[in-house]
Amino acid sequence: MKPPKFAYHAPTTVREAVELLAELGDDVVVLSGGQSLIPMLNLRLANPTDVIDLGGVDGLGDVAARDGGLDVGAMVTHRQMETNDLIASTAPLAQHAAGFIGYRAIRNRGTIGGSIAHADPAAEWPAVVLALDGAITLTSAEETRNVAGDDFFESLFTTAKRPDELVTSVHLAGRFQDNWGFSEFQRRTGDFAAVAVAVGCVITDSSVVEARVALAGVAERPLRCPAAEQALTGPHTGGAAEVAAVARDSFEPVGDSHGSSEYRKRLVFAETHRAVAQALGSDIESIANA
Amino acid sequence: MAETEAPRFFGSRVSRVQDDRLLRGHGRYVADIELPRALAAKFVRSYEAHASVGDIDRDEAAEADGVSAVFVGSDFVESEIRCVSSYEGFQISAQPILAVDRVRFAGEAIAMVVADDEYLAEDAAEMVFADLSPLPVVLDLDAALEPSAEVLHDGWADNAYVRRAVKTPGFEAAVSGASHRVTIDLNNARHGAIPMENRACIADYDRGTQRFTLYTTTQIPHLIRAGLALAMDVPENRIRVIAPDVGGGFGVKAQLYTEEVACCLAARELGRPIKWVEDRREHFVAAHHSREHRHRVTGYFDDDGRIIALEADIRVDMGAYSVFPWTATMDNGMAMGILPGPYKIHEYSVTGTPVCTNKTPYGAYRGVARPAACFSIERLVDQIARHRGLDRAEVRRRNLLGPDDYPWHSPSGLVYDSGSLPESLESVLSLGGYEALLTQQVEARAQGRLFGIGIVAFTEQTAHTTQEFKQRGVPIVFGYETAKVRLDASGTAVVSASIHDHGQGLETTLAQIAADRLGLDLEQVRVEYGDTNQVAYGAGTFASRSAVLAGGAVTRAADDVVAILKQVAAHDLEAAIDDIVLETGRLSVKGSPNASVAISEICRLVYQRPERLPKGVESSLEASRTYDAEPGTGAYTNAAHLSTVEVDPMTGKTEVLSYAIVEDCGPMINPMIVEGQIFGGVAQGIGTALFEEFLYDENGQPLSSTFSDYLIPTMTDVPDFAVAHLETPSPFTIGGIKGMGEGGAIAPGAVIASAVEDALSHLGEPVVNELPLTPERVLAYIDEATAPGGPR
Repeated sequence: MKPPKFAYHAPTTVREAVELLAELGDDVVVLSGGQSLIPMLNLRLANPTDVIDLGGVDGLGDVAARDGGLDVGAMVTHRQMETNDLIASTAPLAQHAAGFIGYRAIRNRGTIGGSIAHADPAAEWPAVVLALDGAITLTSAEETRNVAGDDFFESLFTTAKRPDELVTSVHLAGRFQDNWGFSEFQRRTGDFAAVAVAVGCVITDSSVVEARVALAGVAERPLRCPAAEQALTGPHTGGAAEVAAVARDSFEPVGDSHGSSEYRKRLVFAETHRAVAQALGSDIESIANA
Repeated sequence: MAETEAPRFFGSRVSRVQDDRLLRGHGRYVADIELPRALAAKFVRSYEAHASVGDIDRDEAAEADGVSAVFVGSDFVESEIRCVSSYEGFQISAQPILAVDRVRFAGEAIAMVVADDEYLAEDAAEMVFADLSPLPVVLDLDAALEPSAEVLHDGWADNAYVRRAVKTPGFEAAVSGASHRVTIDLNNARHGAIPMENRACIADYDRGTQRFTLYTTTQIPHLIRAGLALAMDVPENRIRVIAPDVGGGFGVKAQLYTEEVACCLAARELGRPIKWVEDRREHFVAAHHSREHRHRVTGYFDDDGRIIALEADIRVDMGAYSVFPWTATMDNGMAMGILPGPYKIHEYSVTGTPVCTNKTPYGAYRGVARPAACFSIERLVDQIARHRGLDRAEVRRRNLLGPDDYPWHSPSGLVYDSGSLPESLESVLSLGGYEALLTQQVEARAQGRLFGIGIVAFTEQTAHTTQEFKQRGVPIVFGYETAKVRLDASGTAVVSASIHDHGQGLETTLAQIAADRLGLDLEQVRVEYGDTNQVAYGAGTFASRSAVLAGGAVTRAADDVVAILKQVAAHDLEAAIDDIVLETGRLSVKGSPNASVAISEICRLVYQRPERLPKGVESSLEASRTYDAEPGTGAYTNAAHLSTVEVDPMTGKTEVLSYAIVEDCGPMINPMIVEGQIFGGVAQGIGTALFEEFLYDENGQPLSSTFSDYLIPTMTDVPDFAVAHLETPSPFTIGGIKGMGEGGAIAPGAVIASAVEDALSHLGEPVVNELPLTPERVLAYIDEATAPGGPR
């Protein structure tokens, strides 16, 4: 468990970082909080020629209000997401979800930008970005562009980010601050979710006018569940159990040593049920036999 | 001890003397030791579970940057590890140091790269290419015993290391007279100890004196020396084994490993120290596993739920090779012996089969077979309660051994010396609040919640020596421990012992005993261990033996030294020896309070003023003694545990809400250390109950080789503990003390399974019979309980 040999770069500005990315070629990895990359290096699952460390780069650690929502710098840590007042008031779903990431030592180092760029399909941030109608800001030596969260996550550890681009910030919408839900199943506190469900709703006059239901851990990338969103939208009649049943029947999760496909479908039901109930503010039924 | 006073340290919650150094980062572990000119080793491990080994291409690796040598099996073919049981029909395995013609588990070492540092060694290890031709794999212990199964060792008739059967003469008659019976099948997943410190060793060979020094993370330095001597055919006086600070053992560091032999052989070959520090991924696949038991048990009982006879078949998946010094029969033998547990069962029939498979070899882990045995008998007793409509505490009351039953000759041939089982049960019911919990359960169920209570009683054989081990068929009978006590000229003491402290607190508890016996302060006693040069021999630390056996040996040796002190003091004070009394720091003349001399003054005289010694007294204040806790059948600790759980009906996830323990390990040397041992053991047992499992795919590929796949309990999974003590002394041991290092880890699987079953019992009657209780398994039990038409 010793990493293979690599060259180490420590830029101090975004400009320097993206120029290094452009110059060094495809076999380069970016180190932000290191909570996934360092184990991957030590396990030799990653074998890059170069590592670019963002730890000394200025200007990536800010949280700012914009357009009713938030711009979150890529190097903002999970712990800052958990404790920042602006996030708590504007995107409480994000604040709540942050507490499920790893444990305190991991949250002190891991960053939202690192997690999003890594695109682990079981991670919290990608699902939260989908639920909060988020967008990712990508910067290269040539340009800066925004990609909607819905278009960003492509597959296992694969995103719309080009190799010469850096995730520099994440935008989260603010309109879901009153009705949101988040629930995930962990074997132990701090583990990656077997299934995580993030729900953002806009409710007007007792009617759900917009619903976003995003799931992690059910496929090779975080997914929204249009059928569940449809079931959740409108003057509400079905309740959490109905939405959860729709979600359960929408996925065929792959089984692994932490749970079979069939079991994961049960988890989709359970966690969707809880997240939707939280978003709607209704009570959870005590025993579900779906 | 200071003869006119109560003991000053025995029984006190004195702080652990080693904690200051360990908590400040001043511990000295193998990885901290840097020897001049040392090279780093990296093992290339088989990715196949079973394969014939063809060519191994090591040329590129041998040429790589910084590489000194690449060894393969043919380089070390003169050495191997064999551990042969004396049981009739035992089939012998020989484990090569590096695989020669066949690999038998994924993770078996096939080459060893030695380079300037670990990074270069790991780079070069990726350049070794072995031609492995897969052979049929044997992964399930029952499938391994099928006639069609591939036989894993040449010359074997089948894959059973041995087959054993024991039956009491009255068994058949008792069974035919029993009005009820219940049979259950139980499965315990393969898992392991997972200490914080992985394995590590440094082998140093002195070409001038032809002596090996091996620094290694072991619990058993003297046995490692014995094993190395056998494996390498080198006399023991040319081997010194040093075990410095060890970061947790729990049994996994109580075996000789091929890597230790390989490092010694490479050091001799290259003439430079070889350092190997295992990484966690290696540890998961190559350090010995444990716990994989499959039992079928049948209880025969009367209308009142009293057990008349017990029948069992015990199979244990021992993996690919028999391990030194335990052989491949240890878990099976222990389970066969202890299965009747704390109950008054007279008739017993048991068959046992340790099985060879294409998995990592199987060694000791805290509790050795007792967690599985406790799981089986306690699950059975719960089924008897269910069958007879009895409360689970009541059925235990009717069957537990009572105060008048000792010494109890168990139907498996064990001798239980003493105990307080009914009292422990009643105490834990009261400590855990059993009556209130029953009310709480009614309320929880009314809210649709799944709330359960588990109760378990058990007995823990500890400090067993000659009588026990000679029956176990092991080649070395672990009959005693050794301690040496020496006072120096300044009046301070060094206690050297054959045991090792890697968390048990023995550095403190042995100092407590020695300080009391020698009339010294705790700070005046230094305890050392972990070096074969310190004392002549001894087995080491395992099987909850060290406090009793090393404690007894320290007592004897200290008393011998005190006898010399008294001789000298009598001469110095011009009094009769019988009139000399040891007090704290002084020796006095009985009845003459003013006639006394400091212990330190006598020490000074012995070493520095030989002209003032009485005739015939040598200038030595040193004694070395052994202690075997005769008759050697063991001192039996007993305990009762009560736990509550809540099960999530949607996900099957089990949360442990509360945990109460009543433990009776006799008089406690240090209750704080006893409690620390209990809490740590229960925490590990929660891993057994809920989390830990080595999984394999159908080709024998390990699926649990990182901490994201292999789950151990963390702080949030372990509840607060309530603990209370009883103190029933052993009639067999010095001070009446009993071992207790393993007990905490024995019961949690059984008690949490009992609680989960209880949580579902209003829905239906599934038998919770498999560990760990993963959420998916628990959900299957819920489905079984709620299935239309009922369970079973």
